Amino acid sequence: MDSIQAELDKLTGKSNLSKVATDIDACIKQLEAARNSIMQDPSQHLATMECLTRTIPTQLEKINTDHREIYTGMNRFDKALNKKFKLSASITKTDYDVFRQIDTKLIDKAIGMHLIREGEFEVAETFEKETGVSILDINSDLKEGFVEMYKIVSAMRLLRDIGPAIQWAEAHATELEQRGSTLLFQLHKLQFIWLFANGTKGGPGKLEALQYARTHLSPFMQHLKEISQLMCGYAFGENMPREFFGAPFEDPEKQWDDVAYVFMGEFCSLRGLSADSPLYIAATAGAIALPTLLKMKSIMKDKKTEWSSSHEVPVEVPLPPTYRFHPIFVCPVSKEQTDEKNPPMLLTCGHVIAMESLHKLPKNEHGLLKCPYCPKSCLIHHAKRVYF
Amino acid sequence: MPRRTLYLEYRDESLLRLPYELHRKVFKKAQNTWEREKVATAETIKDLAQKASSGEHSAEDSVKALDAAIAKMQNYKRKVETLHAEEKQLHGHQAKRIAHLQDLYKCPDLMDKSYERWSRKRLDRLLVDYLARHGHLETAKKLAEDRGIIDLVDLEMFMSCARIEESLKNKSTAECLVWCAENKMALRKQKSELEFELRLQDFVDLMRNQKLNEAMNYAKRFLAPHKATHFNAIRQAAGLLAASSRSHLMEHPQYKALYSEDRWSYLAETFIKTHNSLLGLPPGPSIFVALPAGLSALKVSACYPSCPPTTSGPATSNTSLCPICATELKPLAKDLPYAHYARSSMDLDPVVLPNNRIYSEERLHSLAKKLGLPQGMIRDPTTGEDFEQTQVKKVFIM
Repeated sequence: MDSIQAELDKLTGKSNLSKVATDIDACIKQLEAARNSIMQDPSQHLATMECLTRTIPTQLEKINTDHREIYTGMNRFDKALNKKFKLSASITKTDYDVFRQIDTKLIDKAIGMHLIREGEFEVAETFEKETGVSILDINSDLKEGFVEMYKIVSAMRLLRDIGPAIQWAEAHATELEQRGSTLLFQLHKLQFIWLFANGTKGGPGKLEALQYARTHLSPFMQHLKEISQLMCGYAFGENMPREFFGAPFEDPEKQWDDVAYVFMGEFCSLRGLSADSPLYIAATAGAIALPTLLKMKSIMKDKKTEWSSSHEVPVEVPLPPTYRFHPIFVCPVSKEQTDEKNPPMLLTCGHVIAMESLHKLPKNEHGLLKCPYCPKSCLIHHAKRVYF
Repeated sequence: MPRRTLYLEYRDESLLRLPYELHRKVFKKAQNTWEREKVATAETIKDLAQKASSGEHSAEDSVKALDAAIAKMQNYKRKVETLHAEEKQLHGHQAKRIAHLQDLYKCPDLMDKSYERWSRKRLDRLLVDYLARHGHLETAKKLAEDRGIIDLVDLEMFMSCARIEESLKNKSTAECLVWCAENKMALRKQKSELEFELRLQDFVDLMRNQKLNEAMNYAKRFLAPHKATHFNAIRQAAGLLAASSRSHLMEHPQYKALYSEDRWSYLAETFIKTHNSLLGLPPGPSIFVALPAGLSALKVSACYPSCPPTTSGPATSNTSLCPICATELKPLAKDLPYAHYARSSMDLDPVVLPNNRIYSEERLHSLAKKLGLPQGMIRDPTTGEDFEQTQVKKVFIM
């Protein structure tokens, strides 16, 4: 990237048409000077014209050089681009055809949904008008849901007003509690921290915060440890020793963002949705996966081999752990992922293998078989189908 | 920095490639103008000097001639300045885009918030690209403006491209022919068929309207120059001139094809293809590459269970967050290959409950704590059943 930047700097700094313009100006000046000198002294007519036949071609040559310099500069920029994006050459035309069989309406719908999920309601409306695709079913209240969510979130983000979020969390307290969510406490905690650091009247509002804690934090007995950390703020000030108390007062602005994100997560999960737009996750995962996939493709092309299993991608993609949403069980015997037809089976010793592998293991007439991973034996009908 | 982040922007070439190609076009224009100007000026000066020395021009004549030359030069300078303004704008775009790509390098790793912000911006770009390529220009513009990425996308280019495409669909070749003229050299280099096809269409249309003489002249002027490369097509088209009636011709499939209305969408398609390859644009929207790759990387058999899990998953599980399980992506991922896993991937402390469900022991404990269950009790997060901790058994995943 730096080399591209350097080439661009050269283009913007000197190798551009402004130099041409300057040199044209000089040319015009020479012509004007000649004209003026003839006007003033017609006797110099011949000499001046003679002089022009020498100076003008030199000047023209200069402009020529200016052009050549731009040309060279652009070529160098081009080379730098090619070098940087070598991998993009390995994307071929067919790579764009994966979705050929898929109805564009489905893609449009997914995009429309993404727009709603990102809170781009006006864009979504324009999109519906332009494509004629209706993003949501008529009786879906999803959009209203997201309108509400973004209202609450922008109150937090823009106005630093936590009220609407707390109202929502209190209205959904039972559901949140069932999920083991600590959202309500986190909201009150944030409000406390914000009051402690900024108050409502400008400047720290330690007393206000104390009042707030007495009414709003005290009911959360299960979070006693965190509350006591917060209360240490009164003894030690904001810069309390981090090794004992953590840093509850650090970077409140960031905490607003974080808690808003937690809020969005909880809001969405109550509706069975993820906090991040699925399209965003998938596209990002794609960006992370592509280099590996492309590399694999070029290796397979070089070796003229083809991937035998068409229903699996030929290579394991190193996605970060947050991009794993289901536990994956791969049978250690057959190295295959289990599914409904070939489910995972738990042996009495605690090891798990796939059903097909289980049936292939040697067993005696009573159905007794030895676990492939430990010395214990297990009756085949004692193996249990398990669910991850 | 992890190695793989370094590769991430490999497919953003067109982001920088396009302004470069546009810049090159501007420069070509500047150079062509200059070539003409250079020769003309050099000759004028030589000519004037000669006329002065031969006595043909008086001093006054020379002053007049110089005035004319100066005016011409100034005119040229104005042209250069306009081109320089265009060039400057493109340099500006280029700089902003490079800065955007540089931002990626500042992300410490894929888990960092800064990467998330960057990735969101990239998705916005990909969406604008998709929308613009599919002719949803208003949405594209609105999204780009709302997200503040107007300098990172090339809406103007897409708009002018869409205008020409539209005109072809409305059965007019004029706009596209102007574009061909503007890009004459590049098209010739690519051995593009576009211009010939357009000319052929014009000729067929003249024939369709029974304008025999005009058609003949048109063919002489615009088809004949292509005889080296398109001899057969021209000969076939000339057949139209010989035929007395159109209905007679329509019995022959190749003539039927010439008169077909489908040719317009063929022309529109050819134009788009030519346009994109001329500017180094990928043949399709980039999201058509990124999205299937991502869907496949995320797709596992658990996404397509015979009995769907409860919709509102517990806070301890990721299941309800899976993008493949989301209704809007599921149909897109349906026919794509699954991700490949060589080893199991799950929490390191699996335990099995009496109902045969396997969970992370630690997650079960923390859920129990959050729910405030009585000591020694745990709850199945999926089914909501409560069990005693003593009923929980360790499981070994190899």
